[in-house]
Amino acid sequence: MLKRLMKSALAACVVLPTAVMAADLDGMTPEQLLPLAQKEGSVTVFSLSSRIAKIEKAFEETYPGIDLIGLDMSSTKQIARLEAEQQAGVHAVDVLYIADTPVVFSKLLEAKRIVNYVPPRVAGQIDDRYKGPLLTQRLSTKVLMYNEKAFPGGSPVTNLWQLTQPEWQGKVLMVDPSQRGELLDLLTEIALHPDEMAAAYKAQFGKDIAVDADLQGAGEQFIKDLFANDLILVPNSDVLNKSVGDATAKNPPVGFGTYSDRRDNEKEGWALQVANNVEPANGILFPAILTIADKAPHPAAARLLIDFMFGDDTPTGGAGFEPFNVPGDYATRTTIAHHPDSVKLGELKAWTIDPAKTAAARGRVSDLIITLQ
Amino acid sequence: MTFISTFAPSGGRRLLRSGFVMPAILVAIVAILVVAPLARILLSTLTPEGIAAWQAVLVSPLSFNLWWRPLFNTMVLGFGVASGCLILGGFLAWLVVLTDVPGRRLLGLMGTLPYMIPSFAAALAWGTLFRNSRLGGSAGFFETNGLAIPDWLAWGLVPTAIVLIAHYYSLAYTIIAAALSSVGADLVEAGQMAGAKRPRIFFGIILPVVTPALIAAASLTFAGAVANFAAPALLGLPVRMQTLSTRLFGMIETGQNERGFVLALLLIAVSALFLWMSDRIVSGRKAFVTVTGKGGRTKRFPLGAWRWPLFAVAVTIGLLTTVVPVLVLAASSLAPQSGALFSNWTLHFWIGEGGGEIAQGQAGIFRNPVLIDALWNTIRLGLVVALTTMLLGLALAYTIVQRRGSLLATILSQLAFVPLLVPSIAFAAAYIALFGAPIGPLPSLYGTFALLVIAASAHNLPFAVQSGRSVLGQISADIEESARLTGAGLLRRLFAIIFPLAIRGLFAGAILVFVKMVRDLSLVVLLFTATSPVLSMVAYRYAAEGFMQFANAITLVILIVCLAASFLAHGLQNRVQKWKQP
Repeated sequence: MLKRLMKSALAACVVLPTAVMAADLDGMTPEQLLPLAQKEGSVTVFSLSSRIAKIEKAFEETYPGIDLIGLDMSSTKQIARLEAEQQAGVHAVDVLYIADTPVVFSKLLEAKRIVNYVPPRVAGQIDDRYKGPLLTQRLSTKVLMYNEKAFPGGSPVTNLWQLTQPEWQGKVLMVDPSQRGELLDLLTEIALHPDEMAAAYKAQFGKDIAVDADLQGAGEQFIKDLFANDLILVPNSDVLNKSVGDATAKNPPVGFGTYSDRRDNEKEGWALQVANNVEPANGILFPAILTIADKAPHPAAARLLIDFMFGDDTPTGGAGFEPFNVPGDYATRTTIAHHPDSVKLGELKAWTIDPAKTAAARGRVSDLIITLQ
Repeated sequence: MTFISTFAPSGGRRLLRSGFVMPAILVAIVAILVVAPLARILLSTLTPEGIAAWQAVLVSPLSFNLWWRPLFNTMVLGFGVASGCLILGGFLAWLVVLTDVPGRRLLGLMGTLPYMIPSFAAALAWGTLFRNSRLGGSAGFFETNGLAIPDWLAWGLVPTAIVLIAHYYSLAYTIIAAALSSVGADLVEAGQMAGAKRPRIFFGIILPVVTPALIAAASLTFAGAVANFAAPALLGLPVRMQTLSTRLFGMIETGQNERGFVLALLLIAVSALFLWMSDRIVSGRKAFVTVTGKGGRTKRFPLGAWRWPLFAVAVTIGLLTTVVPVLVLAASSLAPQSGALFSNWTLHFWIGEGGGEIAQGQAGIFRNPVLIDALWNTIRLGLVVALTTMLLGLALAYTIVQRRGSLLATILSQLAFVPLLVPSIAFAAAYIALFGAPIGPLPSLYGTFALLVIAASAHNLPFAVQSGRSVLGQISADIEESARLTGAGLLRRLFAIIFPLAIRGLFAGAILVFVKMVRDLSLVVLLFTATSPVLSMVAYRYAAEGFMQFANAITLVILIVCLAASFLAHGLQNRVQKWKQP
């Protein structure tokens, strides 16, 4: 008993200062963090992108003496691993570079397995909505894509409701939203905008929408009608891009895909283009976030790394951001210029998801699409 | 070694001999390795969210699409694939092992290959040939040449089942061939002398002798088919065909873990029921214990006029299931555009210098500095896991066979089968939670190679146990009993009698484990904290960046590693079983 008391007293001695320190660390500049981080010696990051290898090189060159250990794994695996580790009392990872924010929000943030950190150096250059509850580093897309070779006059779709018409029967593709979180988030976002969907319905058909009794709002009605119009589900974006983008296709389908995949057009022989002029929106922008694991073993180095991954003050963001600066993805830091070849962030007609709201509504939409299959 | 047999049995050895200690240790090991993670998964479905998940899956408006229809598809696939694999694999094994068909070595090699090629390659190959206009994009070979392919042949259950049979039949072949090769020639000769006709020898002698192997093969191919994700996802989703594996993957991928776990537990329960029934069939007929190892090479049947036609059939099967997928893989590691597999080939993705226009300046895989490291890691991991899994599997199979029909054997064999059906992400998470913290005096295993090996051994246990059982079931009890009577201890009996006799089956199992381990990603990613990755992780990195050519090149490297391992095992088993050599 005494031993246990001693132990917890000892533990308190160790934990309390670090708790105080964490608060201090949040306010420090990179210059102040550096000596502390060098004393810690290393930083471990789980990354959704394998481009972390490039960051590793750049980070270790900029801050010698800190070893960056980057492990790339999908968001789902990061969440599973962090949960299991913390349940076992293991605190081995410092930084998570992760998407799938609705799940991160409900499983990690609400369970206090991660803490939000905003580097003071760049705090003034990021919109407030990207700073909390989780810090967004960049935005990716799931938007309506079409084939610009087959439709040289621009997008063949100007209103989402057109996709529920016979003209597009069996000609709309989507990665199965019951298999992939981002597509579920896309449909959830549509369900969360019933008024806009109702207005778009009226604009398309000239009459008010009649929503089925068991559905909530025009968004859910759209999802039901879309599935009823033989929406084709595919297993991954590769299949989708080939089907929608094939530059030689005569009468290709359209699909909800990733805007930045357009950068592969030349390499793959695709003609992917975003359908931007779509009522009420062409899809979603969703965040990739940087966050610190609870009780991170290297708290100063973790903060230094997150700071580093927001780039330097140049328009490209320098070595810390450049690997992620692809056309069709958008940096949240305002000093980083968006790629000249892509639609500007402000002009892209996509809804930006709110992880908390999406997390709350996602279950219902997921159940709805299961019944529709 | 001789002193062991002359030494008076000590108390400890008497205990060993009393057959109590070994089963007790095994039960403890299985409890820790299999039951504990399973219990943890079960417990997580007994929380309020878990109960809601049980309700949603079983009794809600969702349950038809979430459970019943996927269950139906899964079972059709499972039984269809298992029977297809038995027919195809059994036919090939019979042809290669028991007949004088020409080119037996070549056929045998082709029979083992498909399992080493990832199933997505077979699915892609199917798509290359049969893809129709449903998805848009470029059509498959047949449609391009004016032959309309109906949806049911391009997508859904039929193509999925065919692709899975093409992938898993080699698993059945491996196990059945191992069992057939130990059918004593004396049995067959005795039959012939007694004037039995060929069909009678086949149905009266050979078939009963290999029944344990048939059932082992059926169970493993069944489990493989119901757990496979790539083929049903690629070929089923476009017509909204969901199986339990795609549902399970989707549930976990969209953060609804409890529902995923409920589906996994139900799938385990259903499969366990079928396995139990097949166990009953085997243990109901003790006559399956047969004689092997009494010298004598395998007796070959002359095929007569059928030699060449049957050879042609076997070669066609081999060509369709190995050469075509390998060609598609190879082509896709050479073609700059994934949509045009057979044009503008370049070796850039293998040996290119990088810095140029191709592949955003990335160099070929053989210029990737981590490749050699990853290759070495991969081989080490595969070998270690194959070894530990086979040791554990042999001990388990031995106990199960010795106590055939007993409650203990039934429970052990059921439990040893379960890990194949537990989603590896849940399995790995359970292992981190169980062994991440120090247990008593034992240190935390978090992030160690040891934890990965333990988890992987448990996860691959079914291969070892099933293949071990199928061979051990053939070793006659009288050889072992005579050894026991002369005073040989358990270890000596294992190494002097059981091991040499069962070696072919053991190596067959070890190869299956090795292949699975070398290809499998999920466990490694979750349990390994090393900066020098394994090959599958390197392939994943390339694929995640959209460079399928590099990823496919690595897949081919993995295939070559697997092939080399299988040659090695073949050589070793011939050295041990010298009496088999001509």
